[in-house]
Amino acid sequence: MHHLKPQKTFTPYPGPLSLPPQEGKYYSEEAEVDLRDPGRDYELYKYTCQELQRLMAEIQDLKSRGGKDMAIEIEERRIQSCVHFMTLKKLNRLAHIRLKKGRDQTHEAKQKVDAYHLQLQNLLYEVMHLQKEITKCLEFKSKHEEIDLVSLEEFYNEAPPDISKAEVTMGDPHQQTLARLDWELEQRKRLADKYRECLSNKEKILKEIEVKKEYLSSLQPRLNSIMQASLPVQEYLFMPFDQAHKQYETARHLPPPLYVLFVQATAYGQACDKTLSVAIEGSVDEAKALFKPPEDSQDDESDSDAEEEQTTKRRRPTLGVQLDDKRKEMLKRHPLSVMFDLKCKDDSVLHLTFYYLMNLNIMTVKAKVTTATELITPISAGDLLSPDSVLSCLFPGDHGKKTPNPANQYQFDKVGILTLRDYVLDLGHPYLWVQKLGGLHFPKEQPQHTVIADHSLSASHMETTMKLLKTRVQSRLALHKQFASLEHGIVPVTSDCQYLFPAKVVSRLVKWVTIAHEDYMELHFTKDIVEVGLAGDTNLYYMALVERGTAKLQAAVVLNPGYSSIPPIFRLCLNWKGEKTNSNDDNIRAMESEVNVCYKELCGPRPSHQLLTNQLQRLCVLLDVYLETESHDDSVEGPKEFPQEKMCLRLFRGPSRMKPFKYNHPQGFFSHR
Amino acid sequence: MERAVPLAVPLGQAEVFQALQRLHMTIFSQSVSPCGKFLAAGNNYGQIAIFSLSAALSSEAKEESKKPVVTFQAHDGPVYSMVSTDRHLLSAGDGEVKAWLWVEVLKKGCKELWHRQPPYRTSLEVPEINALLLVPKENSLILAGGDCQLHTMDLETGTFTRALRGHTDYIHCLALRERSPEVLSGGEDGAVRLWDLRTAKEVQTIEVYKHEECSRPHNGRWIGCLATDSDWMVCGGGPALTLWHLRSSTPTTIFPMRAPQKHVTFYQDLILSAGQGCCVNQWQLSGELKAQVPGSSPGLLSLSLNQQPAAPECKVLTAAGNSCRVDVFTNLGYRAFSLSF
Repeated sequence: MHHLKPQKTFTPYPGPLSLPPQEGKYYSEEAEVDLRDPGRDYELYKYTCQELQRLMAEIQDLKSRGGKDMAIEIEERRIQSCVHFMTLKKLNRLAHIRLKKGRDQTHEAKQKVDAYHLQLQNLLYEVMHLQKEITKCLEFKSKHEEIDLVSLEEFYNEAPPDISKAEVTMGDPHQQTLARLDWELEQRKRLADKYRECLSNKEKILKEIEVKKEYLSSLQPRLNSIMQASLPVQEYLFMPFDQAHKQYETARHLPPPLYVLFVQATAYGQACDKTLSVAIEGSVDEAKALFKPPEDSQDDESDSDAEEEQTTKRRRPTLGVQLDDKRKEMLKRHPLSVMFDLKCKDDSVLHLTFYYLMNLNIMTVKAKVTTATELITPISAGDLLSPDSVLSCLFPGDHGKKTPNPANQYQFDKVGILTLRDYVLDLGHPYLWVQKLGGLHFPKEQPQHTVIADHSLSASHMETTMKLLKTRVQSRLALHKQFASLEHGIVPVTSDCQYLFPAKVVSRLVKWVTIAHEDYMELHFTKDIVEVGLAGDTNLYYMALVERGTAKLQAAVVLNPGYSSIPPIFRLCLNWKGEKTNSNDDNIRAMESEVNVCYKELCGPRPSHQLLTNQLQRLCVLLDVYLETESHDDSVEGPKEFPQEKMCLRLFRGPSRMKPFKYNHPQGFFSHR
Repeated sequence: MERAVPLAVPLGQAEVFQALQRLHMTIFSQSVSPCGKFLAAGNNYGQIAIFSLSAALSSEAKEESKKPVVTFQAHDGPVYSMVSTDRHLLSAGDGEVKAWLWVEVLKKGCKELWHRQPPYRTSLEVPEINALLLVPKENSLILAGGDCQLHTMDLETGTFTRALRGHTDYIHCLALRERSPEVLSGGEDGAVRLWDLRTAKEVQTIEVYKHEECSRPHNGRWIGCLATDSDWMVCGGGPALTLWHLRSSTPTTIFPMRAPQKHVTFYQDLILSAGQGCCVNQWQLSGELKAQVPGSSPGLLSLSLNQQPAAPECKVLTAAGNSCRVDVFTNLGYRAFSLSF
């Protein structure tokens, strides 16, 4: 028999002596568990497990030995193991309960911690919120800081004491600011009041103005009637203000360049030159008709429809006629024109009529000279005063045969006009000075499409042009008279120019005629003048013949339109013992020089109208000297044809053996230059 | 002849006057600068123009190179004669001779260095000076002209040392015979006179018009030009252009030129002459006409050969006369171009 060894002494844990109250608890162990020691329970468990193992082993043993008495011992042991099982169960229950309790406690503690944590978060959040609020508060700018307050000194000076409350505000900045704001408000109220007052004033004044305006406008018709009433008085007193006024009225309808011309000329005439009188001619109605307002065209439409039906029945006009019409249209003149009357000293009058060609944007002029007494025109003077050439080249190069506006060329090409030259007789000459007087400025090579009429351009040219015009007319008239005399073979030398010549002049002028430009170019002794460009087609050409005995001197004269500021140019050909010109005789060259280069001595008193006649007279004198000083040819028999009558110091001088052509006054002898 | 293009610009009073002046200008005298690069020309208005030959002859010459570098009013009357020493330009015209420094003359507004007037006999009219001659051995200048005398002036002191009288009418031209030294003068009276400078006496007289071979009475008897080459002399003017042997006073060759000659010079083995008519004539010593080169002026009054050793590239013949142009011949065969006032 296996005898169970006694274990080590182990007193089973009896458990608590008294049980705690068990209200609400399911298991009795729930109350026990607080009182038992878990460690001892663990020891109990280990002992119980050991006992069970022992008992099982004993049972095993007994069972294996078998026997009847064993059954009781097995039973005993079975009962013991049951008890042990019960202990185990209890212990298990205790363990579970302990676990549960422990868990509960942990859970409780955890919950507490969570609660605290939450509280902490809340507090932190609140702190943050409060901090933000604080910063907001600190940053707060009150509106009052945006208002520009008057400075402190001014405030204390200006504000009434009940607002400024110096004793309080000085110490307390808050109060001070409040006081200042108060003052600001006060001021603003006052200003608003003032503003309202001013507005109302303004309204009143505006009303007054209205009233006065109405009064003035009612005055105008009254003044007009007074003026009408004064007309007879004006005429009686010879003060034609009304006439001038009417002219100004008409002037309003002038195209801009003619208007500028009119204004400048009237101003010049009134201010500087009483010999100039200006008038406007032409039809004002036609001028007004040029600018028909567009509403009228509607009325015309119905008429024009009817007309069109008629024209289609007629044959279409030929192309040539159409072109002709187009040309006429292009060269159309404005219906109004400005007339100048320039009175010269000898009562001759230069009549100028200025036209404006609307499509070409240029001005033209037609000239006419009338004299106090009827002029008998000598044959050679035909061109002098002719309307075509009297104003030619008033300024150098201004021949008036070409349009000064470069844009016109394109217009001409469209209608087949080659040059304006063909039309100048009818339309007048488009001189450059005419454009300048009308304030039209054409810069070279730049076509001008808009009409810009410049008053300052016109004004600056007016005086010079008027003076030049008068000089031109007078010199032409003087030439006219001189030509009449020259054609009769007399060189008209005035008394104040007599000193330039010796008393006795034997050579005579026998012929004075005009020659054509082409004929001049054909002469053999004028080639050098042509080559230098002094013989253009704007000049007038003449031939003079001076004779003495068998000697014949031909003089070809170029008369520039700018006579007498530009001298006439002479070229000589002497036929005497052979033909002598400047290419084979140095003395002929010297004679030409005497007349052409030394012309300033021959100008005579201003305005030097005597230049041409003095030159001709000098030519006669030179021929005399030439013929008389010719050295006698020893091989030829007989006396000299021309005995020397002139007093000369020396006959020849210098390498070219010049004759003494210079006349000395008053001694009366000839010397060399 | 250079054809001037007819001007398209409108001619005002000033332009017309200028054109007339140029048409009637006569250039009487020329002189080459000592450096050989410049040419001075004097005209009948008393102006002297300095042309730059080196610029006009260079390959980049433009139209402006043919215009004067500077033009100034030298005299009141025409400038009939000019010569150059190694530093000065001497010009003479109406009665007085003026000197200009060549280095100064190219600047604008230069003034004459000095001016002298020889002692004239007459006071009624100031006689002109037609010819100037430098005598290097004596460093003196001989002037001759309207008062029919030859005056010698010492260039150092400016005093007039001699007055050689003998001509009965005014003197046109002078030539120097280096060897002796003798001066030849030709005048309106038709005589060529030789003067010995040391003794101040006339040693020989040739009355050209008295010789039938060369006299041409219809032109007159005046001697317009002279040139000498030691034993030989060529002279022309009213009478025909003739080559003379001086010692024997005989005319050896008559050059068949109808027009009176105004300037003649020896050049290498040729004789160049110019006068009425626009050509420069080149003659062989035998009397043959080698060439006639036309110039641009209708009559020529002066020829100048630039033989200055310092500027061989400017070795040209220039001719001037009855126009405002100076013709430049780089090669004696043709006219290269013309300088113009």
